[in-house]
Amino acid sequence: MLDWLKNINKEYPDFWKTYLSKFEEKPNRFVVFTTETTGLNPYKDVILSIGSFAIVKNSIHIGDSFETVLLQYKYLHDNGLSNEFIIESRMKKLSEPDAIQAFIDYIGNSVLIGHHIDFDVEMINVSLERLGCGRLKNEALDIDVMYRKLIDANDKQFSLDELSDIFKLPKTYRNTPSEDAYTMALLFLKLKSRLGIK
Amino acid sequence: MNTIAEHIADFLKEYPPFDNLTFQELSEIAANIRVINLEKHKTLFQINDVLHDCFYVVASGTVNLSVISDAEETLLNKCHAGDVFGLRPFFAKNNYMMTAKAREESVIYGIPIATFRPFVANNPNVLNFLLESFASNTWNPKDKENFRGKLASDNFFYAEQKNEMQYFQSLTYNRSPLVVSAADNAKEVALRMTENLSTSAVICENNLPIGIVTNTDMCSKIASGLFPITIAVNSIMSSPVVTVVENVSLAEAQLLMLKNNVSHLCVTHDGTDKSVVRGIISEHDLIVAQANNPGVLIKEVKRSLNPKELRQIRERLAELIQNSINKNIPLSHINNIASEINSAILKRAVEISILELGSPPARFSWLSIGSQGRKEQLLLTDQDSILVFEDVPSDKYRDVRDYFLKLSKKTTLILEKTGYELCPNGHIASNMLWCKSLTDWTKQYDSWINTPGENSNNLSSIFFDLDLVFGEKKIFEALENRIFESIENNSLFFDFLGNDALRKNAPLTFFKKFVREEEEPNKDKFDIKTRALMPLIDGARLFALHFSIRGFNNTYLRFKQLAIIDPKNADIYLNCAEAFLVLSKFRVNEGLKNENSGQYINLDELTKLDKEKLKNAFNPMKDLEELIKSNFKLTQFS
Repeated sequence: MLDWLKNINKEYPDFWKTYLSKFEEKPNRFVVFTTETTGLNPYKDVILSIGSFAIVKNSIHIGDSFETVLLQYKYLHDNGLSNEFIIESRMKKLSEPDAIQAFIDYIGNSVLIGHHIDFDVEMINVSLERLGCGRLKNEALDIDVMYRKLIDANDKQFSLDELSDIFKLPKTYRNTPSEDAYTMALLFLKLKSRLGIK
Repeated sequence: MNTIAEHIADFLKEYPPFDNLTFQELSEIAANIRVINLEKHKTLFQINDVLHDCFYVVASGTVNLSVISDAEETLLNKCHAGDVFGLRPFFAKNNYMMTAKAREESVIYGIPIATFRPFVANNPNVLNFLLESFASNTWNPKDKENFRGKLASDNFFYAEQKNEMQYFQSLTYNRSPLVVSAADNAKEVALRMTENLSTSAVICENNLPIGIVTNTDMCSKIASGLFPITIAVNSIMSSPVVTVVENVSLAEAQLLMLKNNVSHLCVTHDGTDKSVVRGIISEHDLIVAQANNPGVLIKEVKRSLNPKELRQIRERLAELIQNSINKNIPLSHINNIASEINSAILKRAVEISILELGSPPARFSWLSIGSQGRKEQLLLTDQDSILVFEDVPSDKYRDVRDYFLKLSKKTTLILEKTGYELCPNGHIASNMLWCKSLTDWTKQYDSWINTPGENSNNLSSIFFDLDLVFGEKKIFEALENRIFESIENNSLFFDFLGNDALRKNAPLTFFKKFVREEEEPNKDKFDIKTRALMPLIDGARLFALHFSIRGFNNTYLRFKQLAIIDPKNADIYLNCAEAFLVLSKFRVNEGLKNENSGQYINLDELTKLDKEKLKNAFNPMKDLEELIKSNFKLTQFS
């Protein structure tokens, strides 16, 4: 309601305004996503690729997915890294601003799902900052937290590999963020029904 | 470009009908797939649910398809990874006719019909596959060869695929019965019945059934001149009409017809005549349905021409057993049916071999030994058999034996293809040792019986569970007579057999815990075969031989018979008989669950109650052991 107040001093890009306007409605979709980054520092490191899937009505929609490789020439050049992986990859390639914009368009008002998702959200937020946008407004759920809630344990964190083992999912496929996201999506579906989340 | 869609396309291309499509096409389909996770026991769709907009492929786990009749669930099929099910929306407009429920946590791919339809239209192979699969409810990957291009056999059995214990199956009946009103005259109704090829018409008032006219009424009341042809049908109808609920089973329908002395039943919404008519069951429907029973299965066996067909029948048998067990039909009864069908399969295998090789040069009998010989083979276990041929002049011996060896090789091969593995110890007729003339066999048994200690590595007590499968009864009887003669009062032999029976490992430790397997691959599981069933089987055989009981090879029946012959120990025998059934059931359940021989029970999956039940079944073994020791005076040795 007071959005115009916040916007008064700042002219956001159009795609961000569209994004914000989507929150007038309740979300009916989950988006499972994960980022591949160069490191763990949101300010020093950058996103190399994003993979995500949508879940609607308890099923993963394979077609409703988003995956892209971000071209980070500057970062790679500055750090003297090879860009072989990026060139070799057959995935869609976008520059960071285009990729982030496309990703924001894709997620809309969905509830975000991930593994240790705070970090992924923070990475996106920092990228958004560079584009002169605000922070993500989506609700977010973390599958590790969900699992710990399920087994009522707080003293331990579970890696994606451990969770895959527990739920007997194959780990062989997990090479790209999309494949990670798919695994997370399956885990989310399993946890969701066990926890009785609607 | 979507990585996961490619993985899914990779998965699909292994299975029909997707193997008819290009990878490009599959990727396109995969991109529209919805992935669903089903928790254990979760229902995907059930009978009368509105059709979904997609059909399903199992990605991992197992989904059971079942129907419900007489308030009981009957399993139609288990779908494993790669199996396609829920094709109904493709072909029919009415609701689902079965229930799909996850047997374990499963991941399912939902393929939208709209996405898949163009590929069906453009690819006749895919269409054919779907039509055939639909005709058979679902598709079994083991039938791969048969379901490609042609249906397995020209008979209704495969086309309809009614797998349940036939008697308890639900009926197919006329769901759009001829309904007339009370004021219609007889001629009119008769004309409409003729037109509709119907043997009956229901008379309804305000949509509720008030009576029924059948061919019999028309014949006995109109054609006989008792009533004029113009009379209103309500004067000649039978009323009230016998009504039943939907999903009535064959058994119940038959019972009701007999009880009420009628030839037609009216199916109504809630089973009373105060609700809407859903259909009419005629006697004819019962006859059609009854054609699907174990008897027919045996008939099928007799008609099959190759191992592939036999294999299918063996698979149907497994399903029949599973369904019967689910319905709590007594195991001894299931055993009888199963062993009859099993015997028919064995017999047919010998027949097929003879058809290929030409008539045998001498008379012979093919005998089952071991579990087949005892007729207690519910699960697919290995084959054990011997062949005995009549004595022939020595100059012909070689040729005759060669023929029979060839015959045995062929037969055991057919059985192997049918799904019975060869005996790991080589106890099969194709082994030169176990295919010989009657004289040689008599010598063999004599040496086993009279000098049991020597060459004892060749003696397996399963050679004393004999059953004629094929061939001359006389040869079999001659051998059997000889065995019983030789063992009479032969304490040495009984000593040996008794000690052999006692040597088996105990099922429980000193602290009354289960003795678990210590080595992989069955670590921590319980070996129910050698630790619990074998002692009972051996005991029963020992006493049966001791008391010269013939004609009862079955362990259960042996104990029952022993209770009659040796009444002072009747309690022990009867307890053993019961225990044997309980233990067999545990084994069969485990075997069906894992699709193996069920030898190793996973104790961790049993409930506490089941574990107690299992332990209780061991109790009679101790008594049996004591009985063996005292009867054969073995105490001093063991």
